[in-house]
Amino acid sequence: MEPSSPSSPVHALQITDLVKRYPTGTEALKGVSLDIADGEFFGLLGPNGAGKSTLIHCSTGLANPTSGSIRVFGNDAVNDYREAREAIGLAPQDINLDWFLTVEETLDLHGGYFGMNKKQRQERVDELLESFSLVEKRNDRTRELSGGMKRRVILARALMHKPRLLILDEPTAGVDVELRLELWHYVQQVNTEGTTILLTTHYLEEAEQLCSRIAFINDGQIVDQGSSSELAERFGVNSLEDAYLELVGRKELSRAHVGADLEPEL
Amino acid sequence: MVRLFSLTRREVNRFLKIPRQTIGAPLLETFLYISIFGAALGSRVGDLDGVDYVVFVIPGLIMMAFAINAFSNNSSSILQQKFQRAIDDQLSSPASPGQLLIAFTLGGFLRGLLIAIITFIAASLLVDLPVEHAYILFPALFLVGWFFAQLGVFVGVRAEQFDDVSFAQTFILQPLIFLGGVFYSASLLPEPYQTLTHFNPVYYMISLVRYGFLGVADISIWLSLGILTVACAAITLVNYRMFKSGYKLRS
Repeated sequence: MEPSSPSSPVHALQITDLVKRYPTGTEALKGVSLDIADGEFFGLLGPNGAGKSTLIHCSTGLANPTSGSIRVFGNDAVNDYREAREAIGLAPQDINLDWFLTVEETLDLHGGYFGMNKKQRQERVDELLESFSLVEKRNDRTRELSGGMKRRVILARALMHKPRLLILDEPTAGVDVELRLELWHYVQQVNTEGTTILLTTHYLEEAEQLCSRIAFINDGQIVDQGSSSELAERFGVNSLEDAYLELVGRKELSRAHVGADLEPEL
Repeated sequence: MVRLFSLTRREVNRFLKIPRQTIGAPLLETFLYISIFGAALGSRVGDLDGVDYVVFVIPGLIMMAFAINAFSNNSSSILQQKFQRAIDDQLSSPASPGQLLIAFTLGGFLRGLLIAIITFIAASLLVDLPVEHAYILFPALFLVGWFFAQLGVFVGVRAEQFDDVSFAQTFILQPLIFLGGVFYSASLLPEPYQTLTHFNPVYYMISLVRYGFLGVADISIWLSLGILTVACAAITLVNYRMFKSGYKLRS
């Protein structure tokens, strides 16, 4: 657990003993605790089905936690949901744009849901369309956009109400190299400007590149956390990838091994 | 207020973007009914409750258009947004369950109202349509529209596939409305159908609206208005609880 420094006593996200059991009986989260400091770029890594999205859904009101607590800048995500959700911008894993809306309407309505007045919305929409190179797509319906454009709209929408905590759920799944680098650039800039970021991914390179701290989640539990080099060191391996493979019990897949095995034959 | 307004704007925006389907089609349907039952068959039927058959039919048709559009708008809009998961944008916003419910309700309510108004204006140009008791007519139409808008929300939230929505509309709603006496006066029915009709809630709704327009009724007006108010309050409460718990919306 990261010690909270006196200068920032309130965590951007503080999750304590979070349990999520679905009506089917599946326990997606089995008592997760996690602290993310204000201003941090935090990575949550884990295989598919580990509980990453469930953790995000519980934090944003898309799922009801079974037990435990979630605080967003000190506000309880269940009881003080209004303040908690105001602080969060969510870019979900699956593209969930409304087909009927244009790019501008998508952003404008989102701002409205978050209580921004018309003037604030107009200014912010112009700003975001500009920085995401979407000005020409302003009046296009979202269903007409390419996959990459949709990703940008999703990110712009998450940033519309100037959230203090940006949650990115596998933002680069299935995007090409250019767009991936472009998205990295955007989020790094947002983080530099003071926004806390929680990123889930299963691209280890992405986490290594962007995140100051990383937690591994597997089977609904946080199994370890620290900086990328701390994690590698603790597992006695050379890379974050190998630490990850150790954790999910698939170390035979390590590229270090593969290289060593192949050498004699070459 | 900005929140509620934006949530509602999204719903209104949706139906205004596909006007051929959401406004044109229901208007055409209503006018087909008016021409078939009013103009073509009406001359053979003669007077009902002391008015021309076409005048007798129009109040029921206006109410039916209001009800069906309020219902189908909300059930499809919600189900579609659930499918696309676009609804997550509203659900993860700071909007309260009450604001979400009212906005989703108003979408269909306003669409139904718009169609009812256009139908009323057009019908008034074609025939001499009286409005005998406006103080009953407007509250009655409001309550009917609200009830079916809420019912649409109820079905939309619970539905898991489009078949669920069309099932409710085709097998429950339409028969209740048609057999509630849109096209005939229940007093003309032989027994046991006359008595059975009294168990159909839509019968009271149509009677109220017809009373508002034509001034004749074979039911107790105030009792019906009271029951309709209670029904509206009850379904609103059920929906509110659904939104508050996140049933089928939040996992």
